Amino acid sequence: MTFKLSRRTVLAALVAAGLAAGSLAPQARAADDIVLGGSIPLTGVFAFAGEGIHAGIQDWVKMVNEQGGIDGRMLRYVPEDTAYKVDASVAAFNKITGQNAVNLYYADSTAFSKTINPELERNGKILMAGASFATELNDPEKFPLQFIAGPDYTEMFGILLEYVSKEKPGAKVAFVHSDTEFGRDPIASSTERAKTLGLEVVETIVTPPGSVDVSTEVLKLRRARPDYTIFHGYVLAPIPEFINQAKQMGMETKFMGTFWSMDNGIVMKMGEAADGFMGVMPYRYYYDDSEKAPMLEKIRQMRPEYQSTAYLQGMLTAMLMTEAVKRTLADGKELTGPNLKASLNSLKDFDTGGIIGVPVSIPGNSIPVGRIYQADMKQQKMVPVSDWIRLDKAGG
Amino acid sequence: MDWLFLAEVSLAGIGAGGLYALTGLAFVLIYKATRVVNLAIGEILMLGGYVFFGFAAGLALPTWLAILLTLAVAGLFGGVVERLLIRPMLGESPISVFMLTIGLGSILVGVVELLWGANPLQLPDYMPNTPLFIGEAYVSAKVATAFAVAAVTVVAFLLLFRFWRGGVALRATAGDQAAAYSMGIDVPRVFSLAWVIACITAAASGMLVGAIGGISPTMGVFGLSVLVVVIVGGLDSVLGAMVAGLFIGLLEALTGAFLGGEFKMLATFTLLVAVLVVRPYGLFGTHEIERL
Repeated sequence: MTFKLSRRTVLAALVAAGLAAGSLAPQARAADDIVLGGSIPLTGVFAFAGEGIHAGIQDWVKMVNEQGGIDGRMLRYVPEDTAYKVDASVAAFNKITGQNAVNLYYADSTAFSKTINPELERNGKILMAGASFATELNDPEKFPLQFIAGPDYTEMFGILLEYVSKEKPGAKVAFVHSDTEFGRDPIASSTERAKTLGLEVVETIVTPPGSVDVSTEVLKLRRARPDYTIFHGYVLAPIPEFINQAKQMGMETKFMGTFWSMDNGIVMKMGEAADGFMGVMPYRYYYDDSEKAPMLEKIRQMRPEYQSTAYLQGMLTAMLMTEAVKRTLADGKELTGPNLKASLNSLKDFDTGGIIGVPVSIPGNSIPVGRIYQADMKQQKMVPVSDWIRLDKAGG
Repeated sequence: MDWLFLAEVSLAGIGAGGLYALTGLAFVLIYKATRVVNLAIGEILMLGGYVFFGFAAGLALPTWLAILLTLAVAGLFGGVVERLLIRPMLGESPISVFMLTIGLGSILVGVVELLWGANPLQLPDYMPNTPLFIGEAYVSAKVATAFAVAAVTVVAFLLLFRFWRGGVALRATAGDQAAAYSMGIDVPRVFSLAWVIACITAAASGMLVGAIGGISPTMGVFGLSVLVVVIVGGLDSVLGAMVAGLFIGLLEALTGAFLGGEFKMLATFTLLVAVLVVRPYGLFGTHEIERL
């Protein structure tokens, strides 16, 4: 018999080889591993964050396992790339939960967190958190097995407005947001909040997703003459051009941003005009050595180059999840979603190793804590201009 | 009525419209010559932005050299893509070629993410940054520059198509391929030429869009929004791209200023539907355009 090497047989052989390699590849796994699955946006529009989140979770898992795991059980991270697409993310969830006994899960988007919620409750064994700070998720009744490793978007605005009302009582504020679910999230609730703090919202500007030129929007902003302008729903563009044009027109409004546009690497790309750009950040920056922060020191040892705030978000999320597992096991309880969440909610004045500058509690689904930072272009750093602001203590 | 505000908003709209027109031109050139709707234009535009970034920021070359090199790279890219990917598809159904360009777009996004990462970036400031006033009305210097470049390019193309031999060959090929062949026009060369020029135009547009809005692997979306412009103007009309570009720019600016940003897309797409109902081939398009 002769064996003819056709294109099809080569392809089949390659596929077979790939499958064989795939079946050999998985790291050593034990039945009692604690599994942290993840829909991670390593490609697509959110990849800039996904890469950081991925590295942060990986480093945390490495640290935990180097110290013998959780109660002797290894923490195993099983990520899949989702390209920030909900259908891909759901497929990843099904695949990962089908092949592993998953205890913890990192979600890549608000849409996915909402879509998968009924399945999460049906499954009942998983505690989930992720990249979304959506206000909607901050509802323990509707999302009993999820949490947010920081303040939700409304709380971020709350922290900013609190700061503004102290700096300049009665100030005029404008909101500029993208016309996306992400962008619209905190606007209505924060307009109310501004009123209760005695601030006046003089303009709300919406930009369609992907819009390049913002000249019209800046002209509208100039007419409103706000003292503070808060951006939300963006990462970088169109903020730099907005600030540039506003400065060219001689406007003196102070510009502010929320979590995803506050990474040091991102803000420093905005250029000279962004000097003084402010915003809310629930975590300390990578380089912050002003106070004792053992976790940040450890991160700096592991990775000598700057790590993004997305990295810190990924790490803190995994840290809180691990703590929930630790407490559930210590109580001798089964690792179910409700038990894990109850353990997480039992956190009182928990020390995050300095990632968040104050001890944190998670009575509900979020950690309403943050601090105002300001861009100092000379130092090429975001520097703190306020103390840590806690909405839970302020009664907000 | 605040006339100054209206004037400023209109100028901003026309400025943005210039960018639409320039990018639209890249669609039109390829469609006119080859009957291919190139959905990768947005990604080629993005590639232009990144290549410029590589030359101007990465290698720190002087701006003029970086611009020239970017245009050269884009032209070469267009030629290679046409020769290796598009020409073998000659005679295949338009849908196949259409799908091929979608695939090309995805590959470009992947390549850019591999080479430059997924983070959004800012181009080095190479455009004038001193504010410009027309009378009392403020115009962003960057937008004004982009508009000037777009206007010069579009007018140059209109003249080239009328008077240059290559331009006439392109028009002849667009009119009737078989007749063009029989008259001794090297049709495959015309195809190459169309791709080369369109990619250069898209890259130029990428450098301008990038200077205003920054660059990221997802900036190709801009190309998709320009597809609306060329459909309104007529897929095979250079004049159509220009008029529709400016008109949609103006429409979006006025809608954004007086109704709110959330109505911009609604206004644009309402216009698209209206135009398609009345003139399915676009405002200035040839009647027998095949719709996909």
